[in-house]
Amino acid sequence: MVSTRYAVRSVGRNVRRTILSVVGIGVGCALAVFMESMNRGRDELFARAAASSGIGHVRVVPRGWRERRDVRARLADWQHDRDVARSTPGVASTTIRSRTQALVAMGTHVVPVELVGVDPATEPSTFRFVREITHGRYLRPGEHGTVVLGQSIADRLRAGLDDDILATAVGPRGSIESAMLRVVGIVATGSEDADLAVCQVAIEDVTKLTGLKGAGEVVVMAGDWRAADAIRDALTQRLTGGDEAMTWGELAPEFKGHNEQDKAAARFVRAIILLIVLLGVASAQLAAVLERRREFAVLSALGMRAGTMVVLVLQEAAALGLAGAVVALAIALPVVWQFARTGLDLRSAYGSSNFTFSGAFMEPVFYGDFGVWIVPWVVALAVGATMLASLYPAWFAARTDPAVALRVAQ
Amino acid sequence: MTDTIVAARGLTKNFQEGRHEVRALRGIDLSVDSGEFLALVGPSGSGKTTFLNLVGALDRPTSGDLIVLGRDIGRLSKGARADMRLRELGFVFQAFNLVPVLTALENVEFVLELQGVGRERRQRAMGVLDELGLAELADRRPNELSGGQQQRVAVARAVAARPRLVLADEPTANLDGENAEVLMHLMRDLRDRHGMTFIFSTHDARVVAHAVRVVTLMDGRVARDEEKPEEAPHAIVPGAGRLPAASGA
Repeated sequence: MVSTRYAVRSVGRNVRRTILSVVGIGVGCALAVFMESMNRGRDELFARAAASSGIGHVRVVPRGWRERRDVRARLADWQHDRDVARSTPGVASTTIRSRTQALVAMGTHVVPVELVGVDPATEPSTFRFVREITHGRYLRPGEHGTVVLGQSIADRLRAGLDDDILATAVGPRGSIESAMLRVVGIVATGSEDADLAVCQVAIEDVTKLTGLKGAGEVVVMAGDWRAADAIRDALTQRLTGGDEAMTWGELAPEFKGHNEQDKAAARFVRAIILLIVLLGVASAQLAAVLERRREFAVLSALGMRAGTMVVLVLQEAAALGLAGAVVALAIALPVVWQFARTGLDLRSAYGSSNFTFSGAFMEPVFYGDFGVWIVPWVVALAVGATMLASLYPAWFAARTDPAVALRVAQ
Repeated sequence: MTDTIVAARGLTKNFQEGRHEVRALRGIDLSVDSGEFLALVGPSGSGKTTFLNLVGALDRPTSGDLIVLGRDIGRLSKGARADMRLRELGFVFQAFNLVPVLTALENVEFVLELQGVGRERRQRAMGVLDELGLAELADRRPNELSGGQQQRVAVARAVAARPRLVLADEPTANLDGENAEVLMHLMRDLRDRHGMTFIFSTHDARVVAHAVRVVTLMDGRVARDEEKPEEAPHAIVPGAGRLPAASGA
């Protein structure tokens, strides 16, 4: 098509202006894709932090738990729920837990905790800190009367390995029940908040203290964090007895909300960057159209319709955008790849190598997402944005009055 | 048998220039028949270009009637006028106005593409260039052509779609005497061979000599309208032949 050749060659008419426009589009889109990469990386970071801090990607909870968040609530049929979860596509591992509020004491020291009853055989596949016991060991399957504590709890109790501590909880019909637990392992996460959330015993010990049989939750880890919603939906269809499935974002909405807030701020900054680029491109394109006013008048005189002229200018914009996309990819690919490989280290910003947020342990280094999505994303953004910026210049060209433009030119 | 291609009655055109209203045409009465080779002459500001713009459906009259190729220009929509220019009119401009990023062949082909001509448009464009003795220049861009060559390409572009009426505004103003002579012979030859009607404005007495009818405009009115006996045409462009048959347009 001659019109396509015309559009493409027109991009090269004013080389200096074209280079500046292409570099502007390239840098703007490179910045945008870098921010998108980090946003996607942030999604994964939050999902991973939530999941590995014990929340899981998806959790099966009892009826009404969503509203009351009662740790003493138990699943209607935890064995069925666990079997359903294990057979759901995309699920990597599962574990069961039961919880109760308790006081743990040693000597004159007392600490309120959430006592978590676990299956020692499967718990390490879902909770990263019990895989990294600092002192001692983790619970063994079939073992009762033992406990693994977070370092902060141990410090407050002045307890060490092989010490016995007293756990007290509300039993059946409001009675106060106690049990002696031997400390077999201590976990030092590096975060006091995270340490305070670690007080694990065998699930049978919680049942014995509370008189509440069964599990209060089935924690599900997905093979790919992006599959959380699909797994929840699949589980919801197969659960019985009112038990329901929730994703990590629903379980920790403030955590997810914080992520969304961060992403929204990043999107806002990205929008401003793109707006500045768009205005620059629009200005350059308008200048190009104004310079060629006589040419557009001639094309109009030859019978080119306004719509065809708009398409012509937008074709030029598309060619300019494609060139900008090439520059953007040349800049962005190595940078995004580097940040996906080495990550962005926030330790200096947070002043600590470990920190928690809403009970989830956050990694201080977060990584950008690098994948094939970058190429179509950049091309679509560069071409789309440049065409958008060229709408006004195209409209301006299309309404050139040939008689006036040719009269002025003479 | 001839028919009337242009019929103007009491044609006026005013337009604003800054704060002033310019009365470019003050009542033109003129008829042009099919196949005429008509020169519009007159001093600057006499209304030649304004008249050509109106006949070329680039503009609408302020008052009066203007019928071109059976259509009332004053009543046509913008789109209808664009369509008329594309399919039935040809334009040659003083400054050539070829698209600088396209080759000579592409400049001609572009008009055919706008018309919706399919695959044969390249062949047709090449045929037109060949007829006008420009085949060897087909792949050159305008900046690689002399002024005379550019204007011949512009004529090729104007006639490629086989319009019934070709309008040329000072087509020889930027050409030397020899090139002006070549161009006038070319246009006259096209008119004789294909029956196209040519209306051109000029200041150049040598160009006027080629015209069969000379209309003098003065202050926006027709001051004189004279016909001259036709001389036998002679082709001076080597390799001149017939325009390729129009099809698919």
